[in-house]
Amino acid sequence: MSQGYPVKIYKEPDLRRSSLVLGWSEDVGNLGLKATGYLNHKLKGQEFAEIEPEDFFPLGGVAIKGNLAQFPESKFYACQKHELVVFQSDSPGAEWYKFLNSVLDVAEHHCRVKELYILGAMVSFSAHTTPRELLAVVNSVEMKKGLSQYDLARDMDYQTPLGERPTLNSFLLWIAKGRNIPGVSLWVPIPFYLAAVEDAQAQKKVLSFLNERLDLRIDFSDLNQEVREQNEQLARARSRFPQIDDYINRLESNLMLSEEENGELIKQIEDSIREED
Amino acid sequence: MGIRLYQKPQLENPILVASWPGIGNIGIIVVDTLREISGAEEFGEIEPWDFFYPKQVLIRKGVLEYLEFPSSKFYFKRTWGKDMIFFVGEEQPTEGGRVYAEGRKAYHMANLVLDLAEKFKCRRVYTSGAAVALTHHTTKPRVWAVPNSESLIPEMRGYGNTVLMSDIEGRGGHGNITGLNGLLLGVAKKRGLEAICLMGEIPVYLQGLPLPYPKASKSVLEVLNHSLKIEVNLDKLDELDQKVERRIEEFYQQIPLEIRGQLDRLKQVTYAQPAEPGPITEEEEKRIMEDVEKFFKKRGGGD
Repeated sequence: MSQGYPVKIYKEPDLRRSSLVLGWSEDVGNLGLKATGYLNHKLKGQEFAEIEPEDFFPLGGVAIKGNLAQFPESKFYACQKHELVVFQSDSPGAEWYKFLNSVLDVAEHHCRVKELYILGAMVSFSAHTTPRELLAVVNSVEMKKGLSQYDLARDMDYQTPLGERPTLNSFLLWIAKGRNIPGVSLWVPIPFYLAAVEDAQAQKKVLSFLNERLDLRIDFSDLNQEVREQNEQLARARSRFPQIDDYINRLESNLMLSEEENGELIKQIEDSIREED
Repeated sequence: MGIRLYQKPQLENPILVASWPGIGNIGIIVVDTLREISGAEEFGEIEPWDFFYPKQVLIRKGVLEYLEFPSSKFYFKRTWGKDMIFFVGEEQPTEGGRVYAEGRKAYHMANLVLDLAEKFKCRRVYTSGAAVALTHHTTKPRVWAVPNSESLIPEMRGYGNTVLMSDIEGRGGHGNITGLNGLLLGVAKKRGLEAICLMGEIPVYLQGLPLPYPKASKSVLEVLNHSLKIEVNLDKLDELDQKVERRIEEFYQQIPLEIRGQLDRLKQVTYAQPAEPGPITEEEEKRIMEDVEKFFKKRGGGD
């Protein structure tokens, strides 16, 4: 491992040829944290290392979320039986290159990681009844070929628009490329009105891919139940509030809503979900 | 993290002119003009990844082809009878969402630039930036010159249209230069390398506009012409200045009449004797500043 990287290893994992799955907190629809959390739960991931926060996060105080004081976390979990490493982290606010290299140092030198899977979500202006897609950006042509048998959109063309910056996922994918670690950045579009809540369908989409690709043999009955509940919840909201139904109908007909209508739909869906919870 | 040289040119005690972006991009325009007119050749760069977040990704057919970072490049040219090195930083390495570089990264970058300067036995370093001043955009900007050594002051007193900090009204020889255009001077001083920062004046009401201010760059280049005994043709800069001037006028006409009236009075400020106050009293100056600040706060502009 490179010298000076602020990584704390609690226990050396016994991994020989593993894959690293990585998710960030504060992702759209909380996808990164939910999906990696689900993997840890189902595959009995054991925490074995963490990256110390002081170089990467502003530590001038604490954020409060859901009435609780938060503290940045960047943790590694080993799912030994499945040759899987899960990394869950808050997005660093500084020293990104050093942070991302620290992640890959642990992956390479302590876990013998052979492949990298980065999870992410993006806002979509489609209705929730539209089947979720899974978009893939890879860092090598070989990786692209290796993914050809899966249900993935693999031909994306994209250039960062003026005034915007690339995502941390692209940064990590690029560093992995430089270290000859094949990697894929996976993106699930989440309907904009579920972006601040959660989207079980999107989680299912990305987890199903990982299940198949990494032969994890996960029983998804609990997640399927969550997807059903989410669909029922949204159906109830549509029947109780004609305006929600009207907006979603229009999205289903591929019509765009105005900015104001988007805002109203987001608020009404969020209120309706919170009311039921 | 370091410097990557593509070639090692044979240079004899070169002069380094460096700049990073800042208000009105005055320094960047200065270095870019010198670089373009001289036909300078790129010969190295500072590796960017530890300093900057990437600025652009290109994905083609689902494959990440490249990630582009803000550049920090060195150029050289033997021209005007001397060897010149130019350095252009596309961004200042900032931490924690600040606009200007400060802290560990800024210090490291300044040291890398000067490592290269010393490697090539540079005899002097110039940086350039903006001096926010109570002036009008129709008047010729002065150049505020700050050296890092007492021995440079007599030379600088001989430059035309140039003032030292002690010449500037109400400053008493004090002030500060934000970001790397200033920090480089300090780090050069620590290394015993002589350095001068030349700052072109930009009117206070233009400091928050996302516009270049080539008029000030021209003033700085005129001083450099004199200081370096070179003759850089500045016609191209006049063309850019005319274009920007039109946009400034459009903006100026949007300023409420009452404030514009105050700002118009800045046209009368003359600097026949730099230390002498102009026709605007201290009280009036304060009021103009307050009005300008109020106006920009309302618009949500300004630094």
